[in-house]
This record gives sequence, C-alpha cells and structure tokens, in this order.
Amino acid sequence: MAGHDIFRLQDVTVHYGQRTALDGITAHIPCGALVALVGPNGAGKSTLLRALLGWLPLTRGEIRLGDKHPRHLHPRLAYLPQRPEVDWDFPISVREVVAQGRWPSLGLFGRFTAAERERVDRALEELDLTALAGEQIRRLSGGQQQRMFLARAVAQGADIFLLDEPFAGLDLAASAELIHLLQRWLAQGRTVVAAVHDLALARAHFSHALLLDTRLVAAGPAAETLSDANIDLAYHRRMPVLGVRP
Amino acid sequence: MNALYDLLLAPFAYDFMQRGLLSAVLLSISGGLLGSVLVLRRLALMGDALTHSLLPGLALSWLLLGRGPLALLTGALVAGLLSVMASALLSRLTRLKEDAAFGAFFLVAYAAGIALVSQLGTRVDLLHFLFGHILGVGPSDLMLTAAASGLTLAAFVVAYRGIVLEVFDPIFARAAGMRGGWFYAGFLALAVLNLVAGLQTMGVVLALGLFVLPAASAYLWCDRFAWMLVVSVVFGTLGSTAGLAVSFHTGLSSGPAIVLALGVIFLASAVLSPRYGLLHALALARRERRTVRHTVD
Repeated sequence: MAGHDIFRLQDVTVHYGQRTALDGITAHIPCGALVALVGPNGAGKSTLLRALLGWLPLTRGEIRLGDKHPRHLHPRLAYLPQRPEVDWDFPISVREVVAQGRWPSLGLFGRFTAAERERVDRALEELDLTALAGEQIRRLSGGQQQRMFLARAVAQGADIFLLDEPFAGLDLAASAELIHLLQRWLAQGRTVVAAVHDLALARAHFSHALLLDTRLVAAGPAAETLSDANIDLAYHRRMPVLGVRP
Repeated sequence: MNALYDLLLAPFAYDFMQRGLLSAVLLSISGGLLGSVLVLRRLALMGDALTHSLLPGLALSWLLLGRGPLALLTGALVAGLLSVMASALLSRLTRLKEDAAFGAFFLVAYAAGIALVSQLGTRVDLLHFLFGHILGVGPSDLMLTAAASGLTLAAFVVAYRGIVLEVFDPIFARAAGMRGGWFYAGFLALAVLNLVAGLQTMGVVLALGLFVLPAASAYLWCDRFAWMLVVSVVFGTLGSTAGLAVSFHTGLSSGPAIVLALGVIFLASAVLSPRYGLLHALALARRERRTVRHTVD
C-alpha cells in the first residue's frame, strides 16, 4: 500500500454561509502516513477533517478516498472530535464503549460472537485499558477517556484515523503515550490525520504535514513543510502583534 | 397476612381494577424504556412540556371526532408534531433559545387545551381528562395500550444498538456510517402514542410520570444501560400497582396516586443509592472535612 495516496483533494472549497472556511485545497495524503494538520485558529483544520469524512457539502472540488467517495468507506474511517460530546455519567462501561466499535459492521442484528469479543479484548489490550474495562466511564482520567475512544476505533477495524486536536488537554505523560501510539500505528501502516497546534511536536513526530490558512500554504514531509518561512506565511498576520515566533 | 391481602390484592378482584392494572403494567414497560432515553438525553422537562401541548389536540379531536382512541391518537399526534415543529422553528429562526421557545409555546397550547376541554361541558369531567380515571379504562383503551407498549418494546429490541449510539454518541454513529435520522421522529411518535394510551389511567398531565420517575430512579442505581431499562420497568410496575391500590382505598384519582407511589421510590433512590445517593454524598463530604481538619492540625 505504501506509495499510494489514500486521500486525493482537488480544489476543495467549503463555505459556511458567507465565510470561506477552505479555499481551493489541492493535496494528496499518502497511505500509511502520520499527517499533522497545522495552521492558526480558523485556518480550517476541523473543517478539513469533517470534509474528509464526507460530512460537508463542498462548494467546489472533490475528495476521493482511494478511488471512491468517502461516504462508501465508513467502517474504515474513525473520527475523534476535539471534545467528544458524550455524557460521562451515562450508565456504560469502558468495555461496552469499545464494543460499540463492532456495531457498524455487525449492524442491528449481527451476533456478537466469541470472535467479536476477542477483537474487543485485543483493542482494550492495545490501548492498555484491560484493567479498567469494567469501570463506568466517568472514573477514567482524561487521557484514559481518549484511549477508550481510540480503542473503539481500533475495534471498529479502522485503518484511517481522523483526530481533531488529540493533544489538547493532555498532560505530558499522556501526550508522550499518544505520540508513542501514533508512531506504532505509523509503523503498522495505518493512516492518521490529526489537527495539531504544537509545531515542535508536529515537526519531531509526524511524517507529513499540511499547513493551512484557509488556503493551502504547504504540504509534504513534515520537516520541510513546517519550515520557518512557511510558518511565517501561514501565521504572518498574527505573529507581529504577539511579537513571538511560534 | 390478611391485612396485606386486603391492602394490596383485594382491590384487584374487581374487573375495572384488573383492567387498570393491566394498562398500568403495559405502560410501565414502554414508559420505563422511553423514560430512560428521556432522562439520559436530558429531555425530561421537554417531555413534560410536550404532554401539556397534547391537550388542545386531544380536546379538539374529542369535540370533532368523538372519544374513540383512534380519534384521540390522531389529535394528539398532530398537536405534538405541530408544537415540536413550531417551537423548533421559533428557536432556530428567532433570537429565542430552545427552552424559552418550547416553554412559551407549550404554555399557550396548554391554556388553549383547558379552554377547549371546558367547552366540552358536561360530557367530560376536566379532572378525569387531566389526572386519569381508572373506571373509564375500556377494552378499546386496553387494545391501544397493548399496541403502544408492544410496539415500543419491539422497537427497543430491534433497534437497541442504534438507540444506544444515538443516545450516547451520535457523532460516532454518523462517522461510522449508521443513519440516525429516524431516531427522533420514531421516538416522538412512540412517546405520543404511549401518552395517549396512558390517558385514561394516568391523565394527560401525569402520564409522563410513568416515563420519567422510574427511569430517574433506575439511573440512580444502575451503571449499565440495559440494567437501567430493566430496573425502570420494574420500578414502574411496582409503583403503579401500589398506586392503584392506594387509589382504590382512598378514592384518590389513579394518576396522582400512581405518581405519588413512584415518587416514594424515586425519593428513596435519591437518598439511599449506594453510589449516587444523598447519604453517600453526605458521608463523602463528612469524610473529606475530617481529612482536611486532620491536615490543618
């Protein structure tokens, strides 16, 4: 699979009413890459993720997943919003949430067989949640809650992960763990596209980057894409005011 | 033993009490299921507003089409749908937020309903309409109740996974390609159907009691959704049986009697629940205070 593009974006343009959220993005996202979406607030990072999910009507352009429209490949796609809007008091255990990952392919009636249970066990193990499997979800820490949703995506059998600011609100240890996990997924050939604010982190740990400022500023291998010159281009309007370099 | 028999079982020797009990048990099943969704989606107050808005529809169809269950159901469905759509439109297109739009709209609908019901004159007792009248539960009411309850149970069995996802994490459902558009329409239809079915036993205003109270009580005991559904139904059944017995002995309308009995279960749950109850919270707070005092010393 390496060497192929998993997403091809051609002139992708999205408007929210009068406001242009994305303007003529043409880019390819290679299969098995760890891609950082970088750009100032309002640059269209979340919008691009939602467009990749096939949720937004495009004003212009098109997105192909492989050679199909994203809407036809949902079980392969996993999406983690910035702050999952779930009720943490919901009467549900960690294991039950992870098991939901099997439901999209089982549908309403598919039997939850021993093989399904085993996949859930493996996902719990991969995300180091086995010991917490029986807990009600409120009792997890922030990092553990995130791992629970990632485990659900793994159980789902997803190989493309779209993560909106997964590092927001994580402490140092949890960040390090997440980086470790993403690198392992990279080694396994999974594709991750993540909105990231921390430039140093994106440069050091991601294989590729897309630098956005509504329009595409640069795309390619992370180190080149996130060069100082490009960063200035993407953030230039804001930086002089703050008087700091990102 | 004899006293207990007189208190709890003797009332149900009568035909009308048996019909009332059957109707209440059937409603407890669907009420527990739908109520759990209401409670978890924080729609309990919205549901309350909705029941009030059904009144004008019920009264109008009674005036125009007579009191057959089908006529009442049609009136209530139309009223419920119109109110939900109108208030959703208000909150979306004007500056009003959802609670104000719904609150205002449903109050007006309720007043219009009471005005209409009082126009029905001697043909119907306003109190029966509002608070239930167990003597009025006829065979056709029972049929409607059985249908409503059966349909609700079937929907929960068939669409269980979809319901859990739609209540817990609709964004995941959507990302994974599960369609949830039918959820709210189906839920609203089932809710209205059961509210109308509960009309004779519970009354318009209190029918929601069989939805919200057992579910809220079960929520205080259960850490698993499936258990919450089961416990809601059990609480509803216990409460409505006890309530009907109380209603028989005291002459209180069946609706308030059942809701009061459910209220006892609810209050007991709120105080005694080992993990989420008041006593537990107080014990925790006291322990914390003691720890703080020790640290200061």
